[in-house]
Amino acid sequence: MLRIEGLRKNFGGLKALDGLDFEVPPRSILGVLGMNGSGKTTMLNCINGVYIASSGSIQLDGKELTGLKPAQIFDRGVGRTFQVPRVFSRMTLWDNLAVPLLSRSMTRAERDEIRATWLKKVHLFDLRHNYAEELSGGQQKLLELARIMVSRPKLVLLDEPFAGVNPTLSRLLIDVIRDMPGETGCSVVLVSHDLTSIYELSHDIIVMHEGRILARGDAETVQSNPDVVEAYLGA
Amino acid sequence: MENARDSRVRVMVWAGVVAALTLGFAIVPFLTDNLSFMFYMMLWIIMASAFNFVAGLAGYMPFGYVAFYGVGAYATGILYKTLEFPIPLALIGAGLTGATVGLLLAPTLRLRGVYFGIVSLALAMAAKLTISLMPADLTGGSLGLILSSANDPLAAYYAMFVVLLLLLATATWLSMSRTGTALRAIRDDQEAAAVVGVNVVSTRMKAWISAAVFPALVGGVEAWYTNAIDLESSFNLLITAKSIVYAMAGGLGYLVGPILGSGLLYGVDQLIWRQFPTLNLLLLGVIIVLLMLMLPRGIVGAFAQRFSKLRKYIP
Repeated sequence: MLRIEGLRKNFGGLKALDGLDFEVPPRSILGVLGMNGSGKTTMLNCINGVYIASSGSIQLDGKELTGLKPAQIFDRGVGRTFQVPRVFSRMTLWDNLAVPLLSRSMTRAERDEIRATWLKKVHLFDLRHNYAEELSGGQQKLLELARIMVSRPKLVLLDEPFAGVNPTLSRLLIDVIRDMPGETGCSVVLVSHDLTSIYELSHDIIVMHEGRILARGDAETVQSNPDVVEAYLGA
Repeated sequence: MENARDSRVRVMVWAGVVAALTLGFAIVPFLTDNLSFMFYMMLWIIMASAFNFVAGLAGYMPFGYVAFYGVGAYATGILYKTLEFPIPLALIGAGLTGATVGLLLAPTLRLRGVYFGIVSLALAMAAKLTISLMPADLTGGSLGLILSSANDPLAAYYAMFVVLLLLLATATWLSMSRTGTALRAIRDDQEAAAVVGVNVVSTRMKAWISAAVFPALVGGVEAWYTNAIDLESSFNLLITAKSIVYAMAGGLGYLVGPILGSGLLYGVDQLIWRQFPTLNLLLLGVIIVLLMLMLPRGIVGAFAQRFSKLRKYIP
């Protein structure tokens, strides 16, 4: 599915990413932990083309993504959400979900069905004629997730999906994300500070520190890694 | 779910507006000899609606919008008077000139917000200066060009009517097609739109060129109607200001917004002008300030916010 080799991103003299290597297998969730400034969001920005990597390779199903523009990478099957939700605020929820389908060849009935399915899944169907700006921050995160999922992506990049979300919506988000690989066949890269959610959802976890991978493995392995305990988990 | 009925109702509302405008403006010459009021009503509907393509749909605020109007007027004058083209060909030339200037200015679309607005304004001044520096036997110099030999107000009225029909067709396509949805997404968040597959460069170019061609055509037809072209009138910043105000008063982002705003405010403008000629601009300014304070999203935007269940029916 996703294979990253030697990924580096420099901003002047600052090494934001310093040689990342990892893979995300099909139908799996990779959790990414790390302190602020460890390079998590920069990594997502490189994968989906917002930033151009300084060097290294990003491959999806064996095809190189490096150097492509975000819209082209989306067409290859990569969707993402943002740390601060970036919905189309003056469009209705229904129209928000129409945007990713513009370049897809689907009948109107198919488009309507998949939009309705995902709005129901994130409990926003009854608000479909509201403007996105009328939603709470947590609801906007749900809308952003639904907006990506209607395009049936192969790989979903989620940047801090639980930040600023109340516990009820957070629970709903966790349930939806957990079911995504099984229901749609996608893989997920989940960046979060929320350790409980990461441990609960992830099949595999990497811990980033200063642009490098400090540790990787399942929840138990990561939690017991002395470098991680010292650099990230404290105590 | 947005069912076929909702979509059908919205299309029918828009079709009703188009039919009313078409019929209304088509029969005016048969009812009165005074074409001027309705001619300028069409002019402002076109100017505000084309402005809506780039501001309301794509999120750009071109303060130098008048540049397209000015070059359209001068292209018509030069092609007719100096190069002796027939008026219809001169008007087509004006539209093409507008499109060409739009293409030349397209690199400025990389800028956003106030930076784009300021650069656009500067380029309008540069366009005016460029024409002023062209040979006087081509542009008429400081006296401008007189097109009295082409004088035919009724034909010019119907030429504006044809431009209005083209505008309505373009508005329908831009707003109700996939391009319209993509434009609104770009307006709200360009980067997020790109991340969900929108080709930002080509989509906003469609809106930009559409917004360039119509004011150029309008500038050409107005030059034909008044038979006079000069730098101060053709590049008057009030043309940009009125286009913005009329579009915003009606409601940017809606097809019917600029139409309603132009119809209403131009009507009020003319009423005040007749009743209080010396206080015209002051009173109009007060009305505009009140409108913006009370209805910042314009009349249609405020209606959509107040009656959210009817929003899906508003074109």
